[in-house]
Amino acid sequence: MQPGADKTANVPGGPAPFLPANPQYASPFTSSGPVVGMQASGSSQPSSPFIPSRPIAGSGTSIAPGASMPTFPRAMAVPDSSWMPPPGRFNGPANAPPSAYSKQATSAYQPTQVPRFMPSAQPTPPFSITPQEGPPVLTHAGSLPPSIPSVASNQMPPSGNSALPLQSSLSAPRPPGPPQLTPSPGDYNVLPRGSVPQSPVNMRFSAPGSISQPPPQTLPATHLPYHPPQGGFVAPPPPIGAPIGFASREQMQYPSAAPPLGGSLQGLVEDFQSISLGSTPGSLDPGLDFRSLPRPFDNNDEMISVPEKYPFNCQPRFLKLTTHALPSSQSLLARWHLPLGIVVHPLAEVPDGDEVPIVNFGPAGIVRCRRCRTYINPYVTFTDAGRKWRCNICALMNDVPGEYLCALDANGRRCDLDQRPELSKGSVEFVAPTEYMVRPPMPPSYFFVIDVSVSAVRNGLLESSLSQPQMMVVADLDDIFLPLPDDLLVNLSDSRNVVDAFLDSLPSMFQDNANMESAFGPALKASYMVMSQLGGKLLIFQSTLPSLGAGRLRLRGDDRRVYGTDKEHNLRIPEDSFYKQMAADFTKNQIAVDIYAFSENYSDIASLGTLAKYTGGQVYHYPSFKADSHQEKLRHELTRDLTRETAWEAVMRIRCSKGVRFATYHGHFMLRSVDLLALPAVDSDKAFAMQLALEETLLTTQVVFFQVALLYTSSSGERRIRVHTAAVPVVPDLAEMYRQADTGAIISLLTIENSLSNKLDDARQMIQVKIVKCLKEYRNLYAVQHRLTGRMIYPESLKLLPLYALCLCKSAALRGGFADVSLDERCAAGYSMMILPIRRLLKLLYPSLLRTDEIILKAADSEDSLKQLPLTVGSLDSRGLYVCDDGFSFVFWLGQMLPSDVINKILGVDSSMFPDLSKVQFFEQDNEVTRKIKTILQKLRTNDPSYCQLIHVVRQGEQPRESVLFMSKTNLQVAATTLIGFCSYTANRKARKLASGLWHLLLVNKAGFSTALTANS
Amino acid sequence: MVGAVIAWLFGFFMLIGLLLLVIYQLVSLSDLEYDYINPYDLSSRINAVILPEFVLQGTLCLLFLVSGQWMLFLFSVPMLYYNVRLYLQRKHLMDVTEIFNQLNGEKKRRLVKLIYLVILLFLSLFWMVWTLLEDD
Repeated sequence: MQPGADKTANVPGGPAPFLPANPQYASPFTSSGPVVGMQASGSSQPSSPFIPSRPIAGSGTSIAPGASMPTFPRAMAVPDSSWMPPPGRFNGPANAPPSAYSKQATSAYQPTQVPRFMPSAQPTPPFSITPQEGPPVLTHAGSLPPSIPSVASNQMPPSGNSALPLQSSLSAPRPPGPPQLTPSPGDYNVLPRGSVPQSPVNMRFSAPGSISQPPPQTLPATHLPYHPPQGGFVAPPPPIGAPIGFASREQMQYPSAAPPLGGSLQGLVEDFQSISLGSTPGSLDPGLDFRSLPRPFDNNDEMISVPEKYPFNCQPRFLKLTTHALPSSQSLLARWHLPLGIVVHPLAEVPDGDEVPIVNFGPAGIVRCRRCRTYINPYVTFTDAGRKWRCNICALMNDVPGEYLCALDANGRRCDLDQRPELSKGSVEFVAPTEYMVRPPMPPSYFFVIDVSVSAVRNGLLESSLSQPQMMVVADLDDIFLPLPDDLLVNLSDSRNVVDAFLDSLPSMFQDNANMESAFGPALKASYMVMSQLGGKLLIFQSTLPSLGAGRLRLRGDDRRVYGTDKEHNLRIPEDSFYKQMAADFTKNQIAVDIYAFSENYSDIASLGTLAKYTGGQVYHYPSFKADSHQEKLRHELTRDLTRETAWEAVMRIRCSKGVRFATYHGHFMLRSVDLLALPAVDSDKAFAMQLALEETLLTTQVVFFQVALLYTSSSGERRIRVHTAAVPVVPDLAEMYRQADTGAIISLLTIENSLSNKLDDARQMIQVKIVKCLKEYRNLYAVQHRLTGRMIYPESLKLLPLYALCLCKSAALRGGFADVSLDERCAAGYSMMILPIRRLLKLLYPSLLRTDEIILKAADSEDSLKQLPLTVGSLDSRGLYVCDDGFSFVFWLGQMLPSDVINKILGVDSSMFPDLSKVQFFEQDNEVTRKIKTILQKLRTNDPSYCQLIHVVRQGEQPRESVLFMSKTNLQVAATTLIGFCSYTANRKARKLASGLWHLLLVNKAGFSTALTANS
Repeated sequence: MVGAVIAWLFGFFMLIGLLLLVIYQLVSLSDLEYDYINPYDLSSRINAVILPEFVLQGTLCLLFLVSGQWMLFLFSVPMLYYNVRLYLQRKHLMDVTEIFNQLNGEKKRRLVKLIYLVILLFLSLFWMVWTLLEDD
């Protein structure tokens, strides 16, 4: 309900910030303007239509007056009638069409548009879903306080009047909004190709789009299903996803929550976007405006919003579902072809001021459900004058303990609600009493295993002064004799000097080492013996393939006969069960293992990584490590590893309501029982994903609750339980599922399902098939009603899904064939993608590309000019200096026309000598250019402190490094043509059979596509 | 006659033993599912009886072969082949880290084995009756 959102929603063509001076580069941004508008007015529950809908749903005494009523004055303050809730389904038409038509010749379409809004021309019934749900709403509306009808009639009196604003909005390029929102007509001409009739149009509908059907003459005026006659305005249609009974039950059950009706006023507003592909066969015209493709820019905002419907849910940064609306039946689930799951990031870093509140119940113990052990949360209901509470997950009546007793107010809410964060916040942290401890909290201990074989000495690993290690020398590989374990682990502050001295002597001790072998397995066993009493973290620095003693590995990755064949994926499956067994033992004794792998040659990360995978650890891979260039990265990441807030001896369990269960769990952990994740150490850099399955064929409940509980020991030695609770509605129709879908979570689950062990081709194909099926299903929902031919339609919530999926297929874990990425890198990428939180995964898949030369040369204000550019060849200017940041590395791209003195200053050497850029030290010199670059880099790095981004510099046209580092990494060629490429892929490959429906609707010939692809790559 | 009865008795007890081993594994697996034991105990329990089971099955096959019961031998050879293949692929032991992902598969596998063995038991009973009747 922010005024800002209204504003952007009402400015269709492109808000002011999106109109830079340079038209050439401006165009991608103007095309993204409507995207912003859509996000505000889009299907994913814009706040304004929802809040006013609450009284309609409530219809009773339980409406919290403080919560719902103020929204009305606010809504009324908006002069634009199109933003009032009752005409909610006019949002779309009022907003979207101007953007669409302004790109075309506006006047041409006026005559055909205006009559459509005449109410008389509406013989066709509205959506098939709405009629049967209409009556209940009407009855409810009748029992409403009189304010609703009056508001409605004020805003939208008779139907004739109601059509007026819309007419005006269509007949003029101006949006119907208040005057300050009026963009100048010239803004619309930014898209140069817009006026060509058969040229593609990027349509964004908020409404089921009959207005914005591009060739108006093909559409009879009667084809306007959603436009109901007069009565519809006064009594808004019900939500598709939330029948009235559900809402009233909600009201009953959580009086304090008063969740507004899901999509109530949007009832008929189906959002989808479309891309039309109207090329003529055989022409070079790709039939698509690349600038109109959706781009993931301001996606940071949506990360922090709590769904309005369930204000007590925890922040989405902790817990996200692939769709925030669960299907009510198996058959519905079968039509949802994307993964149904949940991504949990229990220890996500929170911004200051938003910390998870800590609750201490003292000796009384934490209030939990007797049967299902659910922790008390905001969704439980108190009854019997506060003496009983009903568990929201298993519906069992529990007694309220005497210490926790509190009277209820008239609404059935507890009087002490404000003082109790566990009853008003979705995320809380309980201080656990002694019964939650198996043993007293152990001090965090770190144990270091350092490989001292010759390759480690050679690449300089030992010279970089590590921060705080321990070490033991294993003399006999078969019978490991251990001196007193207590003597090997020392307290760092007591014996800092000893440790430092030892570290200093380490390089000299092994200076003359010529031993190629590495006895990794025995070293693991020995460290296990040392640590098994205490637990803690084991950091392994390995620079060769383990070759002696137990757990020796074969050089299987170098076997050309296997690598490069269909059996390649077997190499990514761990070979030796020794490591699995070791990992199981480590987890049992609360030891987490972090692997730091430095090898130049193959070192079987796939097998070593299992140690990290099953112990809650992490794999850091430094291919071809060189101390001088990787030093900073290693130091940063090691410091981060040791100093970030770590939860020790943790177990995590997710409880959910009956009818749903967790099918599989993904991430770095070990399952200790069916649903208990054992995590020797977990920290803010690790996320987990779970796939959901429906237990029964039909879900009878209307809401499903999830509760994540993480029991852990903090670094300060306190036992705590972090609890996140979320409520998710169960919906009976697919459209609502699509509307509530979350691209990030879907991509995360798609990645995790596939990345590690499948064949590359299969994995990629599976992703594509899933998306094609999903889009086809979505199309089936709407295409018939709206006769959307020749266009690809997709839900607003999933507009970036094809883009990310394609990026995923181009990522290091899944890219190309066997030879494109080395096996170790592929495995390491798989292991790190497994645990990446959603936001960082998306950034890795679609890195941000920033142009920095303007800041550096013109001393411009760095705040404004760092804009994210689309990853297309078109956004690269050979006069520019770009930095591409994927969260793991920075790639600097120096254009060919960049002034040579700038290059010299950056490189520190004369560029005319064509130095080998992979060896040059960058930004060593202190001059104004490097200083500015350093401040930029510093800023970028503070955004993402989990990794230290290694700097690479490439020059334009420098092969092959440019393609390896930049083009492939940034998906440049691909992203430009993402959606088309995607379509053509599906059209060309096996998926054609599955996608035949999609294929037909695309109406694109293959030749047009391939030329488009070649032209762009 | 006496030799046949002794061979049958041996085979019968071996079959009973095999059945017990498989049932034991099945019970352990469902114990795990209902959270009565932890995966570490389970894998050490099951892994301890897997090799004996395989050996017993092999001996049973040999017994059928030696005692000239071709039908029964042919019927139990597929299972022997399956066991040997599992062993050669080193997949015969439970993997403690992935135990929950494989739980359903492992249970199904053992259930099939159980049915197979019960059929074998009935066949051998039939064989016993047959030989006794033939002698009379």
